[in-house]
Amino acid sequence: MTMTEAQAINTTFLHDHKINDKESSETTGSNFHIPPPAASRMKGGNANTKRRTVQVISKSIFVDNRPNKNSDSDSGKFTEGSTFWKRENINYLEFTFYKIVLAELFFIYGIFRYFQLQYNKSKLKIFDLLYSPSNTPQLIRQDVIKLNKIPSRLAVILEVKPIGDVGGGLKGLLNDASELVCWTISAGVKHLSLYDYDGILQKNTDELRNAIFEHLSIYYGPANVPNYAVRIPHFNKVFYNKKGYGDGKGKVAIEVSLLSNRDGRETIVDLTRTMADLCSNKEMNINDITVDLIDTELKQLVGPEPDLLLYFGPALDLQGYPPWHIRLTEFFWEEDNNQVTYSVFIRGLKQYAGCKVNVGK
Amino acid sequence: MLAKITRFIEAPLVRSYNYITNCFVVLFLSVFHRLHLIFMKIVPQSVRVWWQKFLQDIFIKILRAGPIPEHVSFIMDGNRRYAKSNNLPLKKGHEAGGFTLLTLVYICKKMGVKCVSAYAFSIENFNRSEEEVATLMTLFNAKLEEFATRAKDFRDPLYGSKLRIIGDRSLLSADTKAKLEEVERLTKDGKDFTFYVCFPYTSRNDIQHTIYLNSKDYVERKIELKDITVSKFSDKMYLDQFSKKCDILIRTSGHRRLSDYMLWQSHENSTIEFVPTLWPDFTFTQMCLIFFRWSFYTTIQRYNDITLFDQSMKSITSSIPFLNKRRYHSLESLPEPPVAVSVLG
Repeated sequence: MTMTEAQAINTTFLHDHKINDKESSETTGSNFHIPPPAASRMKGGNANTKRRTVQVISKSIFVDNRPNKNSDSDSGKFTEGSTFWKRENINYLEFTFYKIVLAELFFIYGIFRYFQLQYNKSKLKIFDLLYSPSNTPQLIRQDVIKLNKIPSRLAVILEVKPIGDVGGGLKGLLNDASELVCWTISAGVKHLSLYDYDGILQKNTDELRNAIFEHLSIYYGPANVPNYAVRIPHFNKVFYNKKGYGDGKGKVAIEVSLLSNRDGRETIVDLTRTMADLCSNKEMNINDITVDLIDTELKQLVGPEPDLLLYFGPALDLQGYPPWHIRLTEFFWEEDNNQVTYSVFIRGLKQYAGCKVNVGK
Repeated sequence: MLAKITRFIEAPLVRSYNYITNCFVVLFLSVFHRLHLIFMKIVPQSVRVWWQKFLQDIFIKILRAGPIPEHVSFIMDGNRRYAKSNNLPLKKGHEAGGFTLLTLVYICKKMGVKCVSAYAFSIENFNRSEEEVATLMTLFNAKLEEFATRAKDFRDPLYGSKLRIIGDRSLLSADTKAKLEEVERLTKDGKDFTFYVCFPYTSRNDIQHTIYLNSKDYVERKIELKDITVSKFSDKMYLDQFSKKCDILIRTSGHRRLSDYMLWQSHENSTIEFVPTLWPDFTFTQMCLIFFRWSFYTTIQRYNDITLFDQSMKSITSSIPFLNKRRYHSLESLPEPPVAVSVLG
């Protein structure tokens, strides 16, 4: 039984509403997630060309979004001694003037942003040259040894890229994920959470295990691949190593947990339902619902909270990462970066090493 | 002065510190600074204040022409560091922070933002020294009164705003609680603008509180079990109808974490801005630049949403069978092709 790549990353069944299939392969990330404005523009795709941006800015002059339009027409029509249309007209002229000024400012900012983008991109290229792991764990460990602390748990938000792009589709995603596993093992971090909005990794666990195995054998040689565990908290399953290759006896070097949007808000609501049910059946006292209890429950359902969250996109977009778990998590992302690269990873670790957490103080 | 200007101009716009831009900014600013000094000497103060206000008003009006965020939230970090770096007592730092907050809230209201929330005091802050907690409480009370009187005064720009203090009140003393209720009662008629002060608040406490409320309602049979959905759940949170989403979350002083604030509201699609300046130094210009950037990207995003909708409409119309039924023709009905001649003869 083989699946085509488009089928493998097709996640429409996870959601109630359907979206046109044609668009599914054109933008980075999930079709069901609405990213914040900046991220949605910088992620690229068909809808985000320069020409189109100019078009948008010029057309934005004609969009009439006056804030008090409704309240004016409801209550203040004839109150101030002027007729309705007259007042409205003056407002409209003034408003249009400001719209034109705003559009011009947008245009100037757009040009500035373009140069900033080019600058950031070239900076990232240089960083890529500076930090290159060359598939050797020793180099990664040497980079990490210089830091005074490393996170004990790491979380990463991954996205599927359009199938046509470099590193796109399911293959690209698996590649990114397993590269990350290799870097994390080599850096000495014991726990890694991989989050993707649609749960594509959860759906393709076998492929992921194989991909991790292949990548680890590039790094450590096929003879002594370190043990790894892949955990899916939502289905409460744990897999060890590649299929039919050891059963998890011996020390596990890394635990990878796969999370999706389902582990976020909906898990909390599920927990609420369970607790409400227990309370009404008198199995639990309602005053026992405390932050600590919820914390232990959610730790069991989703996993522990990460210390550092890496995002490999152009602007921070948390994509519904489980909200309970990002309480004190440090975020790291590189402006205008669009690839999963080692330089971003190591710079994230560097930021974490420099930060100081003082809860409440 | 110069360093201050450099910091607030380059911080939000030029995020990545780099040498060349820095040079240009410094050059530009030194010229600007000279001009500014001359300006300060020639023009009297009243005119200067008027001029500043005029510029601010114009910029607000321009921004109002674009899309405006609905819910803006602040994490006011850096008051103590500000006091330390300026050799002031801690109290002064907090006072400066309170002043900044009220100014920015006023600007947000003028711009048409529906709701502003601010992280005034975390539950974890009770771990601080007793003296500091006490000063914070008194300062907070004073600010609340100031806000309430201003919100009742029809000549004041803050007139007509509603003040809500949210958080775990069981941790507060009785007379503070009474005062909070009094202030909330005074301003409860405000409609177009709501100011939420999170005092003492943590997001985890908020979620726990909501779970508690839902369970309680179910135990008392006010709701069905299947009625507990994500949107119904959010409605019961502290922030009422603004709990679903926070459009812009601004954290000052450069830390890149949320520190248990607005986790539920900001983890999906809100713009989170981490600004390196300390909170008392955070100014109108910086905030407006953040709003401006947001408005730039939102204009593009909204336009794209509309056109994507158009495309889907097109695909729907093309999928209706009788509207564009393809007609087939037989091979015989096609016109005759030209005569076929082979080169070989």
